[in-house]
Amino acid sequence: MRSSASSAGRDALWGWLLLAPSLLLIGGLVLYPVAYNLWLSLFDKHAFLATQRFVGLEHYRYFLTDAQFWSAVRYGLVYSGATLVLQLALGVLAALLLNETFRGRGLLRGVVLFPYLIPTIVAVILWKWLLNDSYGLVNSLLLGVGAIRVPVGWLGPDHIMTSLIVTSVWQFFPFVVVTYLARLQTIPPELYEASEVDGAGPWRRFVHVTLPQTRQVLVVIVLLRSIWMFTKFDTVWLMAGDGAVSRYVRTLPVYAYSRTFTYLQAGMGAALAVVMFLTLVAATVVYLRILRADEEAAA
Amino acid sequence: MATTMTRRNFLISTGAATAVLGTAPAALGQQIRELQVWHTEVEPQTVKTIQDTSIAEFERKFPGFKIKQQALGWGDLNTKLLASLAAGSPPDLTHLNPFMTASLWKKGLLRPMDELIRALGEKDIHESTLKLQYFEGKYYGVTHAIGATYIAERRDLREAKGIKPPETYDDFLKLTAALTEDGKRWGLQMPGEKLYIGFVHPAEWLASNGGSWVDPKTWRPQLNGAAMVSTLEYLQKLNKYMPAGWSGQKYLDSLAALATGKVAMVYLSGARTIGYIERYAPEGTRDPDHFQPMLKPRGPQGSKGTSALDGENWAVFSQSKYPNEAFEFLKLFYKREHYMKYCHTVPIHLTPIFKSMMADAEYLANPRIQKWRSWHDFMVKGLEGNRFLPIGFSRPEDNLLPFLAELDGSGIVADLIVEVMVGEKNAKAEADRAQKRAEELLAQLGFKRWS
Repeated sequence: MRSSASSAGRDALWGWLLLAPSLLLIGGLVLYPVAYNLWLSLFDKHAFLATQRFVGLEHYRYFLTDAQFWSAVRYGLVYSGATLVLQLALGVLAALLLNETFRGRGLLRGVVLFPYLIPTIVAVILWKWLLNDSYGLVNSLLLGVGAIRVPVGWLGPDHIMTSLIVTSVWQFFPFVVVTYLARLQTIPPELYEASEVDGAGPWRRFVHVTLPQTRQVLVVIVLLRSIWMFTKFDTVWLMAGDGAVSRYVRTLPVYAYSRTFTYLQAGMGAALAVVMFLTLVAATVVYLRILRADEEAAA
Repeated sequence: MATTMTRRNFLISTGAATAVLGTAPAALGQQIRELQVWHTEVEPQTVKTIQDTSIAEFERKFPGFKIKQQALGWGDLNTKLLASLAAGSPPDLTHLNPFMTASLWKKGLLRPMDELIRALGEKDIHESTLKLQYFEGKYYGVTHAIGATYIAERRDLREAKGIKPPETYDDFLKLTAALTEDGKRWGLQMPGEKLYIGFVHPAEWLASNGGSWVDPKTWRPQLNGAAMVSTLEYLQKLNKYMPAGWSGQKYLDSLAALATGKVAMVYLSGARTIGYIERYAPEGTRDPDHFQPMLKPRGPQGSKGTSALDGENWAVFSQSKYPNEAFEFLKLFYKREHYMKYCHTVPIHLTPIFKSMMADAEYLANPRIQKWRSWHDFMVKGLEGNRFLPIGFSRPEDNLLPFLAELDGSGIVADLIVEVMVGEKNAKAEADRAQKRAEELLAQLGFKRWS
């Protein structure tokens, strides 16, 4: 009896020892930073001085009435919403095309990945160069065909959000293509053959075969891309972060960065990060619940 | 004879080997110490010259030391500096913008350098820079070189219209309108970076229109004061003669636009503009007869137009690992033959801080300075006429304000300027909004002295 108990204890110990590296990694790289950030958000902390003052929930209260905060929320929603919808539309369409059999398909599948593979800084510089109103190719073409009379300020306040959305969609839609295409390739051909026998055309085959079969992967894509776009920092910052027009694309991550590293108010920056974190957790929970309810109804 | 190694022997020998290997880097590290030097002069020829002159001599004199220089742009330097200070490991020697120096000094992060200033020749250092980092009777910085900023104009176009260089906001507005040719050339382009349009130029406008960032006594922001509001109204009018996308473009884009004839004037220019003119302007126009600097105009409430003086200062942090060696390096940096070579790497942009060298025949013999001598003379004239203030200063005493870096970083003023100029919003209403934000910021930072 005693020997079997001590053997179980040894097994448990081994189990914990084997788990320890993973627990340490998760604790050190995920839980601790999140907890520390939460703790930091309760302090009035200068970004580079070792002085801090406990202020409790004061930062959160301040942001409730801070026009900059609500403007950042609005810009963040516009940016993530628009880029998500366009990436999905473009990505799914491209994946459907690349799933067909045609000459040069392999090459095209490689080429379509190109925007996703190049570094963000390169993508942004490229687009800023194309859209520059003094020497950019886009204005030059539009002027050439007579579509405009004077160059359009694509990087000015009126169009900077559109330019940012175009750049981001171009850069990130290949993720949708690859993920969706991978799932498309696993759909049994018999399903399409059966639907063709039943007289379904391409549109009905898409609605009744492809969409139900790819539903799960679409959920994952929507979830991941909305999280990534809502927290996207580099593209937004590089496009206009240090420019006079930054306020027209100042999303929450950019505002959090600015509060921390340019206003030098690390506590406030941490509070903004907590707000973003909680928003995303809440959105994920709601989204997964809706999905589960949908699946249960379908079953 | 074949031998087998026991597990114990293997462990002992492995342990011993690891210990030896583990201590080796430490032993090597003790031989060569690294002096970290950060600066903002990113031109390759400047970096190479520093390496070949002052660093080479320093490493010869101090064989135990290696100098690692890092050239960083302004924005990068500030961010990197703040991160290194937060981590407790700043560089041993760095460039700082004068508007950041007071903030760091106030927090006890800088070392005084009186001995160095005396060794360099206190009386020979130009007055425009000498006391920028002078707090409570001690020097905490020394400017690396002077570079004035001004408007650069197509002089030939202005003279063809028979218009004199502008003195006032009104004159400038008329000139800009006259030089704008619909569909062919815009009268003016300003830089779109937040640092310039939201900090450097607003400081100039305040200084040129009898205003200041804050009330000198109470430190209450003055963003909705008469000086700022009348400037905003003037800027709104000026915007009509600027390309639509200027606020999304950079300072260097505006220099290219000037050189290629797309605009007739750029609001931010320095001697670096010469490089653009020589590279991109049409043949036959690459000279001071076609391109000329111009001093900034004054507002209706101001007595003289003021421009920013670009001149970061060297600073040594109190946390520096090798402060004495940092000061020794600076002595070599300013050694006459090294320093002149340094200044010649970007002539006029890097004008020497020493009055004697500024008028030195050997310094002036540089071919670029000879060709563009009028640009050099223009800067000297401006210095003599007291027409320059350090970057971000609305009055000389602003070097004592410990929150200019935060005010710049907040983007409050950039938002104000762009909303009024490009967004065409009401100047007073936007100024009131910015004032409220600035008051909130200063209160949050603990600098509220008003009631």
